[in-house]
Amino acid sequence: MIFELLSAGLIISACLAIFFDEAVYSVAALAGVFMFTALLYLVNGAIYVAIFQFAVGVGTLAVLFLSGEMLSEKPKQKTSLGSTLTVLVAGALLSLAPILLSIPISTPSGSDVSFGEALWDLRAMDVVLQGLVIMTVAIGIAIVLYDRKNGGK
Amino acid sequence: MDFVILSLIMLAIGIYGLLTQRHLLKVFVSVELIATAATLNFVMLASSMGRGLGEAFMVLAFSTDTAVSGVILALLVIVSRKYGTSDIGALVKMEEEEKADEEKGED
Repeated sequence: MIFELLSAGLIISACLAIFFDEAVYSVAALAGVFMFTALLYLVNGAIYVAIFQFAVGVGTLAVLFLSGEMLSEKPKQKTSLGSTLTVLVAGALLSLAPILLSIPISTPSGSDVSFGEALWDLRAMDVVLQGLVIMTVAIGIAIVLYDRKNGGK
Repeated sequence: MDFVILSLIMLAIGIYGLLTQRHLLKVFVSVELIATAATLNFVMLASSMGRGLGEAFMVLAFSTDTAVSGVILALLVIVSRKYGTSDIGALVKMEEEEKADEEKGED
């Protein structure tokens, strides 16, 4: 039951993220998409991926909110409640498809490595390098914001 | 209940947004939805089969996706500041006008 509710929430949030005219509302709906995705991973037993999705989602959304504030122009007409409700109903109808339909998947047999082994024994170099890339991006954003605070262009 | 159909619907919503939206940030949100649909499919498949390698690869894909998002957003802010608009149609029009001005200058 919880799986169905989460998937319905995910699809409705995705519909709203596309539908809202104002960029900040759209980013808020995208936050819902990230949250429901992380919860779906958690329910399915992928705990590490859920935590990572949550952390990455928070970082992405913080940057998106900042740029949304910088880029957004006031929409010419306000979004009406009726059209928002229509999108909500459309999202709810769309979410019926994954609840009712199913595609059978055959599970291949064979042994596999655990998450920890895969991450640190096989892909350790990638993990360290990508952590370095993310840290560089974070420092770059901090420098831009610092420059902006001090009146630079 | 099936996650393949769920990710397909997410993909369809993302593609619809990519084709219909004119604001640069909304286009980026649509791209994020498409990326989420792809990772959702892979992670759910890997975790339902108990495969750690699939989950580990998707964690790496997340970090790449985040770094790419940061660069794309920086480019969006630069373009928006330079041209004063975030509308794709207006940006294309400006580019065409610039080209026409350059051609006139050469003549």
